[in-house]
Amino acid sequence: MSVAAERLQLPFARPNVLDLAPLYEVLRREAPITPVTTPAGDPAWLVTRFEEVRDLLSDKRLGRSHPEPERASRITTAAVQDGPTGNYETEEADHARMRRLLTPAFSAKRMRMLSDYMQQLVDGYVDQLLVEYADATDGVVDLHTGLAFPLPVAVICRLLGVPESDTVYFHSLSERMASLGTGDDAHQAREEFNRYMIGLVETKRPDLGEDVISDLIRAQSADETFDYGEMVRLCVGLLFAGHETTVNRIGLGALFLLTHRDQWEALTADPVGRVNATVEEIMRLGAPGDLGLLRYAHTDLDVAGATIRRGDAVILSINAANRDASVYSDAETFDPDRPERTHLGFGHGSHFCIGASLARTELRVVFTTLARRLPGLRLAKELDELEVRPTLTGGVTSLPVTW
Amino acid sequence: MKVTVDQGKCVGSGQCVLAADDVFDQRDEDGIVTLLDADPPAGRLTDVRHAALVCPASAIIVEE
Repeated sequence: MSVAAERLQLPFARPNVLDLAPLYEVLRREAPITPVTTPAGDPAWLVTRFEEVRDLLSDKRLGRSHPEPERASRITTAAVQDGPTGNYETEEADHARMRRLLTPAFSAKRMRMLSDYMQQLVDGYVDQLLVEYADATDGVVDLHTGLAFPLPVAVICRLLGVPESDTVYFHSLSERMASLGTGDDAHQAREEFNRYMIGLVETKRPDLGEDVISDLIRAQSADETFDYGEMVRLCVGLLFAGHETTVNRIGLGALFLLTHRDQWEALTADPVGRVNATVEEIMRLGAPGDLGLLRYAHTDLDVAGATIRRGDAVILSINAANRDASVYSDAETFDPDRPERTHLGFGHGSHFCIGASLARTELRVVFTTLARRLPGLRLAKELDELEVRPTLTGGVTSLPVTW
Repeated sequence: MKVTVDQGKCVGSGQCVLAADDVFDQRDEDGIVTLLDADPPAGRLTDVRHAALVCPASAIIVEE
């Protein structure tokens, strides 16, 4: 296989929800920065090698905003990572303020304090799965609706101060926002999500509590440079990212473990001793969605033999970088015992995932508890039979298991 | 071993606290790194090195 002379069209078809298109390996070797056509039909650069992806993630010459947003390449028709966001003039200051406001609420220490609460939730979900299992004539239960979905939703609702009774509504909005190939509906869903969030903010305002949305409302009302619309956008982003991503990661982690029986058995033999390395390997190899993190060049720059011009769209493929054979031995293999312990699953640099400690704590509680309480767990369907969601964040729609 | 942190570079990701919570902590008010132990025992080298490696801002320096 060699790289075609014309622009490659994204996305590259993948064989199943766990593996990537073989083309990524060719690109890393032969064209680590390659011109592509986005799913929306516009030109962009695709970056696939670990070194360049990591460096560009922390390179201040790229940003999420665009000097002339109306001329920017569009990536998809979804309403997330579809084009430039934020104000080109104030991006860095806005981002710094956002991190300053949110970092304490998502700190590793705070997340560890939540782990007892997460443990209670997970134990409750497993109790319920055991009841459903006893009642199911075929002995099959759904780990997606029974655990992977409700846990991150319950935790983010508590952190942000969002009523759990709104779950069905904001989840359907999130799905529509991240949907690919549904035309204008994704952006209509974002509009609806904004209206929902404005309603929630104004309901909370007279009686602010100890939660992240209350903190943001206080900060916005005290800072005239903090735009109301920007605050609403941030709240929507937190609620969206705070559940979509972890739901998918729990599903992908279960699939990796249950299709690698030796690794599952090793975890059940020593859940506490092995869970951290297992979670890091799930973060490295789990590859939700088919694109990557989006940036726009804020100046001309030369990288690995390519000249990227000011305003060009750059798609940084985390999925490809995390499987770079020049960094990881046996890179495509799910192996929690590998010597390389770093990965880009939460990004890198100043935009590093603010929810990383939250996600890690949730994943650790989930996989320790499953290994301890359901050691005979196995998939009730073949990997290829599972339906993959046609959204930017990928993942499966159900996860039928038995034991 | 000698450990130093650059609070100006730190982005408050808390990766180091997860890796070695006896050596690193985060300030309550802004999540920025603080050093609990600038001279940890040699037995902590693997975890401290790991903390430096995973720091998204490259804000940790370890000298053996």
